[in-house]
Amino acid sequence: MALDHLLPLEMLQAGEWADVEDVSGEPEWVGRMAELGVRSGCRLQVLQPGSPCLLQVGGCRLCLRGACLMQILVRPVTAAAAW
Amino acid sequence: MPPPHRPTAALVGNPNTGKTTLFNALSGLRQRVGNYPGVTVETKKGQMTCGGRVFDVIDLPGTYSLAPRSPDEMVAVDVVLGCQKEEVRPDVVVSIVDASNLDRNLYLTTQALELGLPVVVALNMVDVAESQGIHIDAGRLSRQLGVPVVPIQANKGKGLDVLRAAIACAALDRTPAKGPSFPEAFEREVGALRETVGADTPNFLVRRLLLDVGGYTEKRLVDRLGPGGAETLKAARGRMAAAGCPTPGVEARTRYSWIREATAGCVQRPAKRFVTWTDRIDKVLTHKLWGTLVFLALMFVVFQSIFTWAKPLMDGIDYGKDVLADWLRDLMPAGPLTSLLLDGVLKGVGSVLVFLPQILILFGFIAILEDCGYMARAAFLMDKLMSRCGLSGKSFIPMLSSVACAVPGIMAARVIENRRDRLATILTAPLMSCSARLPVYVLLIGAFMSPPRFSWWVSGLTMFLMYSIGLVVAPIVALTLKRTLLRGETPAFVMEMPLYKIPSVRTVLRRMYDSGMAFVVRAGTLILASMVLVWALLYFPRAEGPNGQLYDVHLAHLEDELKDLQKQKEAAGDGAPSELTDAIEAKEKEANAVQGEWQRQSLLGRAGLAIEPAVRPLGWDWKIGVAALASFPAREVVVGTLGVIYNEGKVKSDDVMEAENVGETRLARAMQDAKWEGTDRPVFTTPTALSLMVFFALCCQCASTLAVIRRETLSWGWPAFTFVYMTVLAYIGALAVYQIGRLFL
Repeated sequence: MALDHLLPLEMLQAGEWADVEDVSGEPEWVGRMAELGVRSGCRLQVLQPGSPCLLQVGGCRLCLRGACLMQILVRPVTAAAAW
Repeated sequence: MPPPHRPTAALVGNPNTGKTTLFNALSGLRQRVGNYPGVTVETKKGQMTCGGRVFDVIDLPGTYSLAPRSPDEMVAVDVVLGCQKEEVRPDVVVSIVDASNLDRNLYLTTQALELGLPVVVALNMVDVAESQGIHIDAGRLSRQLGVPVVPIQANKGKGLDVLRAAIACAALDRTPAKGPSFPEAFEREVGALRETVGADTPNFLVRRLLLDVGGYTEKRLVDRLGPGGAETLKAARGRMAAAGCPTPGVEARTRYSWIREATAGCVQRPAKRFVTWTDRIDKVLTHKLWGTLVFLALMFVVFQSIFTWAKPLMDGIDYGKDVLADWLRDLMPAGPLTSLLLDGVLKGVGSVLVFLPQILILFGFIAILEDCGYMARAAFLMDKLMSRCGLSGKSFIPMLSSVACAVPGIMAARVIENRRDRLATILTAPLMSCSARLPVYVLLIGAFMSPPRFSWWVSGLTMFLMYSIGLVVAPIVALTLKRTLLRGETPAFVMEMPLYKIPSVRTVLRRMYDSGMAFVVRAGTLILASMVLVWALLYFPRAEGPNGQLYDVHLAHLEDELKDLQKQKEAAGDGAPSELTDAIEAKEKEANAVQGEWQRQSLLGRAGLAIEPAVRPLGWDWKIGVAALASFPAREVVVGTLGVIYNEGKVKSDDVMEAENVGETRLARAMQDAKWEGTDRPVFTTPTALSLMVFFALCCQCASTLAVIRRETLSWGWPAFTFVYMTVLAYIGALAVYQIGRLFL
């Protein structure tokens, strides 16, 4: 499976891991995501997809909703390599 | 001799890092809450002793960053910069971080390092981190961060002595901490901007001005840049972007790469992430089906307990009030002072206190659910539903709480950070059918919507419809508000799910105490004032009745005579002559007639007659108008007012609620028999009863709700708006129901 392509976060399935490549959009939103730990280079796992979705980012668990989910581009990683 | 300067330490940290627990552990019981004008967030202040010196400790609102986006978020920044009036600038900043989520938590710490103050890092929940296999070398971290790092367990009180010593040491030393270095291009722009805005603006704010596009600092400082300030700022940001450090990316990149270097070699993580208890519990509680079922069951238990547990307490308060009133009535002569004290003050205080048990129980539950971490899960589950009407999952609990009482519901809306969402929730919560509306529904449904007039199932259906009005209208109004007055971008909804933990008794009790006091002291004064006003409108003018006696004096005489008769009857026991019973009944009737007459010629009675043309289209006569008018301060008085107006004496809501067949109570009979003046057309037809119920379902007849809205929004505009829109909605609703109902029923 090719894992080197970029996807919007919304396309990930439950349980999948990914590295965040880019967070774009309103500066306020990008800043807020950075404060919460979602920034380029961080690794996350989708616990529940959909809207709102549930993510595991580092040591914390976030609930997210909104069109901005499309603006988080991620690069999927295999579960074996994750963490 | 001037008082010695008392050093101050400010606590900053992310939400759910145990900051408040640490504050409580450091400062003990002596705390006071600080409110600042124009914002709803509170800071807490306490004192601690370390090394024989007394320190002030300030607990700032939990935040993810010191980049303010609203006046509420600005409070923390203003306090630590010393820009908040009435507060001295802290000498030390204590940054509390969650050891199990170090990188993210240190983001805020890096901002604290730039404040120009000494910083102490309190590394909390080291035990939780250990249990997840995360080990942190605090000594090394301290060397690499350049500030003291103290591992603690705030909930178990471990490491606090070392922390106190570190704070005392930092306060003496006064060496400001040093944060990450930003790119040269950024520092150049900061220098240039600083010259424009003036040297009295803290360096920290100038940096924020440049970094936070559309942030609150920009709103506050842009005027200082002179004409074309916005352009100056835009140009500066443009130059930064050209130099390869565009906002806002530059901040996250700089801080996180600095954090990576500062934590290098300090943190040991397990090869594979441990499955924690939180993971296991969340599998069920955030599950779409099981989670929702658990949530519904939990909500049922909460609301059932509010009703069942509060009832005896509320009855007790009511009983106590009656006993006190009787005692005072015997003690004092009839007159305006007695009447003011009994019917105005005592009734007013009683009507405030009677809500207290419900508020305390609801807030006890909310505090438990919040402190153990469940509330965020409930908000997650309900988000989908709530986002359809323009709100978010966080609005659900306030709305549901309002079914018991809008006052705690509106207070519970504090958890919503987005200002527009919070306002929309506060403004629509009073539409939910609260428990004070129930007696009205019970009385009118019992009297007019039950057998023999209608089949057995109509009463239940009507009750259901009355409750549905709120459930349907509130989301529609919320959606309308979000599309008009509160229009704005639908903000991205983001919420952290904290780890589950056992709730702390102290936090829960504190929360109950705070909400109870807030309600009694602040809302209470307004309810009391309005109850006194209604009393005055019903009491004055203090005229003479037809027999030449003042109404109240006459009434007091009649009541004394009635008491004598009742005593005679009691003395006679079972063998009491039937004349005595008849005499008592006649006396009661006379007293009620005097009471009614007094009522009619009072200012409020006259107002009722004056507004009759306005309420006629709703199918009401002036008496109903008076009852509705008198219940504007508190809708629960309507049953009592109807009782007074229909000469049935002091009917209490409870008598109606407890009657087996409401349609057979005297008040219901009197209302069924009521005729339009001068005709034998009955006043209460089915459409009239329905229109009155709909009016009560939609109308804002609760001074406490308005007082709480004023308190929570810090403006008189929003309570005024709520009052107007709900009253207009109620009038239109009642009008439509009556006019349409007349065609069919």
